[in-house]
Amino acid sequence: MPTPFTFVRLQYRSGNWDTDQRMPSNLLHSLVEYTTVPVVEQEKVISLESAELFRYPFCYLSGHKLVQFNAKEKANFVKYVQNGGFVFVDDCNHDIDGLFARSFEEQMRVCFGPKALKKLPNNHALYKSFFKFEEGPPTTSFELNGWGDDLVHDYLKAYEVNGRIGVLYSNKDYGCEWDYDFRNKRWLAEDNTKFGVNILMYALTS
Amino acid sequence: MAILSKDQAEALLKKALSYSKADECEVNLSGYKGGNIRYARSTVSTSGEEENMSLAVEARFGKRSGVATINEFDDASLEKVVRRAEEVARIAPESPEYVPMLGPQTYLPSNAWFKSTADINPEYRAEAARKSMALADSKKLTSAGFWEDRSGFNAKMNSKGLFAYNQSSDVDFSVTMRTEDGTGTGSGYVTRDVSDVSKLDTAAASEIAAQKALGSMNAKAIEPGKYTVILEPTAAVDLLQNMFGSMDARSAEEGRSFLSKTGGATKLGEKMFDARVTITSDPTNPEIPTSTWAGDGRPHEKVTWIDKGVIKQMPYSRFWAQKKGVKGLPMPGGFIMQGGTQSLEDLIKGTQKGILVTRLWYIRAVDPQTLLYTGLTRDGTFYIENGKIKHPVKNFRFNESPVIMLNNLEALGKPQRIGGNLVPPMKIRDFTFTSLSDAV
Repeated sequence: MPTPFTFVRLQYRSGNWDTDQRMPSNLLHSLVEYTTVPVVEQEKVISLESAELFRYPFCYLSGHKLVQFNAKEKANFVKYVQNGGFVFVDDCNHDIDGLFARSFEEQMRVCFGPKALKKLPNNHALYKSFFKFEEGPPTTSFELNGWGDDLVHDYLKAYEVNGRIGVLYSNKDYGCEWDYDFRNKRWLAEDNTKFGVNILMYALTS
Repeated sequence: MAILSKDQAEALLKKALSYSKADECEVNLSGYKGGNIRYARSTVSTSGEEENMSLAVEARFGKRSGVATINEFDDASLEKVVRRAEEVARIAPESPEYVPMLGPQTYLPSNAWFKSTADINPEYRAEAARKSMALADSKKLTSAGFWEDRSGFNAKMNSKGLFAYNQSSDVDFSVTMRTEDGTGTGSGYVTRDVSDVSKLDTAAASEIAAQKALGSMNAKAIEPGKYTVILEPTAAVDLLQNMFGSMDARSAEEGRSFLSKTGGATKLGEKMFDARVTITSDPTNPEIPTSTWAGDGRPHEKVTWIDKGVIKQMPYSRFWAQKKGVKGLPMPGGFIMQGGTQSLEDLIKGTQKGILVTRLWYIRAVDPQTLLYTGLTRDGTFYIENGKIKHPVKNFRFNESPVIMLNNLEALGKPQRIGGNLVPPMKIRDFTFTSLSDAV
């Protein structure tokens, strides 16, 4: 019996980590629907200060506000990523240069050096790890407002360790985009959580 | 006199039909008397009154059809318009969607006409507008409103023996109130429509617009995202009407609508919405009485379109119903969405965190197959916390589908008439606001 996948959310002391509460169960539903990966049905919240996080290959970190790791949080984050863990980080603000974006990017500089986060090319393995996204990351409804005021972040950034993504960083607010009851998915023209499946499958298989 | 009694209309239509030499002939007579008044900045800017009567004749030879209209009713004119329709029919191409004219039908008795509304005169309209403007003046608000009333009849007769007659009356009133220049950005809106004008109090309605305007000054920006919303009936009706207008059976069977399934099947009989969603129509409903027959002569009946979330009926054109070998119901004149007993205030009281939406505006379709729409909130958008309106918020652009919205129901209030329909205020979770708007 393979180990079931646990969706781990990272709790950090600064800012707000408790966002998009239905998003994990929606992504877990997609994982069950499209793949054979066994899952734990409930998300697990783990403090970034806790060594418990090292038991899991995937973590999610999000928020709207300040991200400022304390010494323990920083040490755990660096160690987790360097040891092969995968953190999906999603900015809940749908603007550019918001507080989360500025402070999180600063934390990445502190943790991994000034050029840690790099733009991911649209032909990266992430975009082919389960479904194919030839044009890179799919847009969200928060970006496509019509009327010429679109603000689309057409790439994601990542910190890679030995050619593998350790931190996947999104300004696109996928968390809000996927924060709905999974039963409503059937009314969408196309399931917009498919890219979430790619992220999880990349994290579990690469 | 533009409004004929049933007997007068029948006599005139019989005479018109007597001139016909076509294979099939149908005559439609309609007449109305009505008026309007418009005001802005506490001044009436336009007002008018009109009456008119018009006859349309459709003549058919085989599958060729021609239509001519006239608004003179002496014998020579009646014969002239019938001849003209016949001339057009002879040179028209054959209709690939021809259906024979209907024979005699049985209709429910209509209750859509009110003497109170038919008796409206210019003084009545002026007084209605004055009350609204006076209320705005007393609160130092700028008002812009429009009132339109109409009473009339429609009658139809054809060479197959069908005869239908209906009288109706309606009043539409709406007013926008704004705070004065320089004092903020408050805006409020209210709209009312009635068949019986004695049910319409422009001062009471205007009070709501005034409260919204005064309450929505200096709105704070909050972040777009998914919020629990309370949609007032004025906000909900446009999305629901768009959904209802997309329920046509042919669109569904041809794969073009939200009720389509691949391979030509439809979602008839499937549960599409929350179990509290039941939508019916009834031409004799005393709150929203409509004509008891459709424009094509078919009777309007009491129909349950959506029952406890399950699609029970779809409207059919006569052509599509014949092609499919089904009875096929026409699109009704108005729909009735069942609600609960709570008032809007009760819904607000029961909300921990949410947004009260007065009105959705400038709605445009994004994806017809999922019924995704976009548009803006306007004229009073408020943040609710712990059961109370806490402060006004800046307007949003929304991206939402009424199908998803009706799956995310939290609570329904008491239905009220809006745009010829009965719609409850609705509390809905996860309503998607995608960006802020500078509109007020």
